[in-house]
Amino acid sequence: MAYQAEISRKNPGCFLFLVDQSESMEDPFAGGDAGKKKAEELATILNKLLHNLCIRCAKSDSIYDYFHVGVLGYSDESCKPALGGELSGRSLVPISELASKPLRIEERTKQSDDGAGGVMDQTVKFPVWFDPYWKGGTPMCAALKDATKLVETWCQEHPNGFPPIVINLTDGEATDGDLVAEARKLTAVSGEDGSVLLFNIHLSSTAGPSIELPGTASKLPDQHAKALFEASSTLTPFMVARATELGLPAGENSRGFIFNAQPLHVIHFLDIGTRPANVRLR
Amino acid sequence: MNHATAATAANECDIKVFCCPKSGNSVEEYEDAWAHRPTRTPTGLRVAVADGATESSFAKLWAMLLAESYVRSDVAGEEFFARLQPARRLWRRRLAGRPLPWFASEKAGQGAFAALLGLQIDAHANRWTALAVGDCCLLQVDDVGKGMRVLTAFPLQESSQFTMSPYLIGSRSDGEPLHERIHISKGSLRDGDMLLLATDAVAAWLLKQHEDGRPLWKWLYRKLRTPESFAAMVAYGRTHGLRNDDCTLVRVIHHDAPVAAKER
Repeated sequence: MAYQAEISRKNPGCFLFLVDQSESMEDPFAGGDAGKKKAEELATILNKLLHNLCIRCAKSDSIYDYFHVGVLGYSDESCKPALGGELSGRSLVPISELASKPLRIEERTKQSDDGAGGVMDQTVKFPVWFDPYWKGGTPMCAALKDATKLVETWCQEHPNGFPPIVINLTDGEATDGDLVAEARKLTAVSGEDGSVLLFNIHLSSTAGPSIELPGTASKLPDQHAKALFEASSTLTPFMVARATELGLPAGENSRGFIFNAQPLHVIHFLDIGTRPANVRLR
Repeated sequence: MNHATAATAANECDIKVFCCPKSGNSVEEYEDAWAHRPTRTPTGLRVAVADGATESSFAKLWAMLLAESYVRSDVAGEEFFARLQPARRLWRRRLAGRPLPWFASEKAGQGAFAALLGLQIDAHANRWTALAVGDCCLLQVDDVGKGMRVLTAFPLQESSQFTMSPYLIGSRSDGEPLHERIHISKGSLRDGDMLLLATDAVAAWLLKQHEDGRPLWKWLYRKLRTPESFAAMVAYGRTHGLRNDDCTLVRVIHHDAPVAAKER
């Protein structure tokens, strides 16, 4: 049966993020605060996803390399590794290296429970790996092609591992070809434990209710959303069960597609051991 | 770590503890805990197993504190959980002032989480009381050597009830109240009854073997004696459906106290 491989430090999982940095990402994001650009929302989401992945793998005073993580940015007719600073030019890095090498660590204030029924201001570290950027066209097909090469290599090097998960964050307007056809080539790459999974996070300028993990395209608002839905993989049974536990409306036909919503639960779709149900996602 | 400890508490129970870490992990990374202690009032024994959650930090320390707190406590009901402040304080103190990188500090701030199963045996009254939060399980097997009936599976009864996201006990007290997650059960004991306290992976697998008509009760009663035999069982299990996780099994065999002892 596919998608059963245990994820461990010896047999790590792989998350590859594809991020749209095209000019259209400068437009306003319809799913959040007024005046926020899609590129800003994307940077917020990606930093939160990377942050949460690091926290998930943190173990006492160290961090376990349960995952390797990569970020490819696509804009201006090209696709290239998008992590900066000391990770510049790297396609995939172990999570421990990602955690220790953000671009910068900001300090932010958040309100938290004071343990006596009230709230208090608490200063928290907020690592930033990725800043908003936009320029030129949307070579999404080129990004999917590059991702295909990367995951092919990963699967050759980890033939018994859990298949890589590719997460594409975009406003959906590819300018260099048929994204569904390229997505099919990507998800045809496979190892012993199954095929590569592609999830799409659609940050749209089209107003409308958030849609998470739909089973059909019938309620999606435009052809870009429908194409991205078409390109998205069906969730595995474990993912459906985990999504349900997290309070999401997932069913057996659910696809890894999210429209104008926070996708933080996606990184919990892979099992690395007992997860306390009483820990809330941030 | 593949080891067993043996003890006879209050002359009425034989106890043996077996444990081993998740395959691929070192002994230091084993995050289950266990403890047992004879009691005077009532004359008998308190036993606990705890299972620190993989996806939480400093969970081994928290599991040890929970197991020790239970066996040193004198309450067997829900009120036990209202007395966890010293254990929580100790957990915080052990971490205080420790220089941690940002991710470790944030994870520690969420607290550690663990499942706990506590068992109090009143040897003279031949009664037991069990307390559980999470998915560590108590299995009571009767008629050992004959019909081998499973009298109790607590708090989970079937292998299909185990999940990867149980509600657990947090080392911080500001989380969701445990109230609705506490399970309590009571039962009686007969001479020769076997009580097994197991962390989730072992418990789920033993129940599955039982459901599939391949129960291991007889083997556990008669043949399980050494760390090596437990390691061999776990190794076999891991190729036959036992989830790769830390494994802990405490076996208690109850012997009805002699009349003279009861009168003392």
